[in-house]
Amino acid sequence: MDYNFQFGVVWDNFPALLEGAWLTFQLGCIAFGGGALIGLICAALKTYGPWAIRFLVDSYVVFITNTPALIQIYFLYFGLPEVGLRWSNEACLLIGLTLNAGAYLTLILRAGFLSVRITEIEAGQTLGMSLIQQVRYIIIPHIAKSIYPALANFFIVVLVMGTSVGALIGVDELTGQAINLSSVNYRWLEYFTVVAGMYVVLTFVASIGLALLGRWAFRVKARIF
Amino acid sequence: MPHLAVNDVRAKYGSLEVLKGITFSIEKGEIAALVGPSGSGKSTVLRALMGLTPITGGAVDIAGETMNYSSAKEVRAARDRMAVVFQQYNLFQNMTVMQNLTLAPLKIKKWDKSEVMSEARRLLGLVGLSDKAEAYSDQLSGGQQQRVALARALALKPQILLLDEVTSALDPELVNEVLDAIRKLADEGMTMVIVSHEMAFVREVADKVVFMDAGQIIEAGTPAELFDTPKTDRARDFFSKILRH
Repeated sequence: MDYNFQFGVVWDNFPALLEGAWLTFQLGCIAFGGGALIGLICAALKTYGPWAIRFLVDSYVVFITNTPALIQIYFLYFGLPEVGLRWSNEACLLIGLTLNAGAYLTLILRAGFLSVRITEIEAGQTLGMSLIQQVRYIIIPHIAKSIYPALANFFIVVLVMGTSVGALIGVDELTGQAINLSSVNYRWLEYFTVVAGMYVVLTFVASIGLALLGRWAFRVKARIF
Repeated sequence: MPHLAVNDVRAKYGSLEVLKGITFSIEKGEIAALVGPSGSGKSTVLRALMGLTPITGGAVDIAGETMNYSSAKEVRAARDRMAVVFQQYNLFQNMTVMQNLTLAPLKIKKWDKSEVMSEARRLLGLVGLSDKAEAYSDQLSGGQQQRVALARALALKPQILLLDEVTSALDPELVNEVLDAIRKLADEGMTMVIVSHEMAFVREVADKVVFMDAGQIIEAGTPAELFDTPKTDRARDFFSKILRH
């Protein structure tokens, strides 16, 4: 082991890594947000919909959760252009990640729907709430509180593991930037040491943000450490 | 004309007929008590009135308007006129007491905010919980939660209040604080239909007692008539068992 660490070149290119980290954060937030919307709708349909709709939701969830995210994104990026559907690499990553997160979030949110007490719903009905108002004022706050920890964990999964797949289709998020820069000056060890640290900082900041949000919005007594 | 008239109301759970033609009426400001053994359909009458259990026959007159709950509009109309308090309070767990009281008036009725807030504070005073406005339901005792549920129902200014065994889930010590709140409402002239096992309370506040068994009304009359001189064997048997002690 007489490796000579040279971090200087990494610091010179640190702004590029920061740009990558910022893109990673944006991709994670958008994919998680879109996935949460899909998951909310699918979980509601799976709970209250007719069997044909439930079957469609089940098919989507089974198909997505039983295949690797990489395959799904390659399908969009390399597969679909063969039939004329050509999207940019970032669009493919976002669509793939969103659909992927949507399937997992359907499962997580479904547990939340099942835990809503029928009596609270009836109380809402007798107060004159429409179905939409019940969802808005009773079901979503209840779900948000009861499954908040699972949601927060899954956000970290999307943020770190999900977005880094983008490097394989040339999206310049944090992992992608690290690969680009390393292959120019061959400082793989230095770059990936720093990038690993950046991921840790990113998830740490996100965890604190999520814990504070949970306390403020849903009275969840989440621990930061 | 009666304020509330229930005419031959029927309801089924699957093939089981749980209400076999219920008919009774009360005037404005009166209190009717539904009594009877478990499973006799007392709570189902209240659920049917609120449109939670669909009715399969009959109709209900509320303040002169006839409805049979055949459309969402009619169900809404019934819920506009009546409010219900359940045995298990059913407060919204993720909201404070004040939010529980003001959610429906503000967000669903879209009433004026300052009026809603001052009415909510008045109601909390009425049920003796002025100091709990910012508490969450898991920070309250059962009796306190039930009084919040009572105030929440009243915040919608119902013409008729339905109370479904509101003291059955409470510690004996807490029962009286809830009954006191209901007494105040009775004094204010609130029209109520109550399902209760508190026979002494029923005798005190009710104008009319309806004795039910197996989805039917067996006998109805004033509290004195039913408790002291029941005409039917079934009523005599029931009241002799529960009034003995």
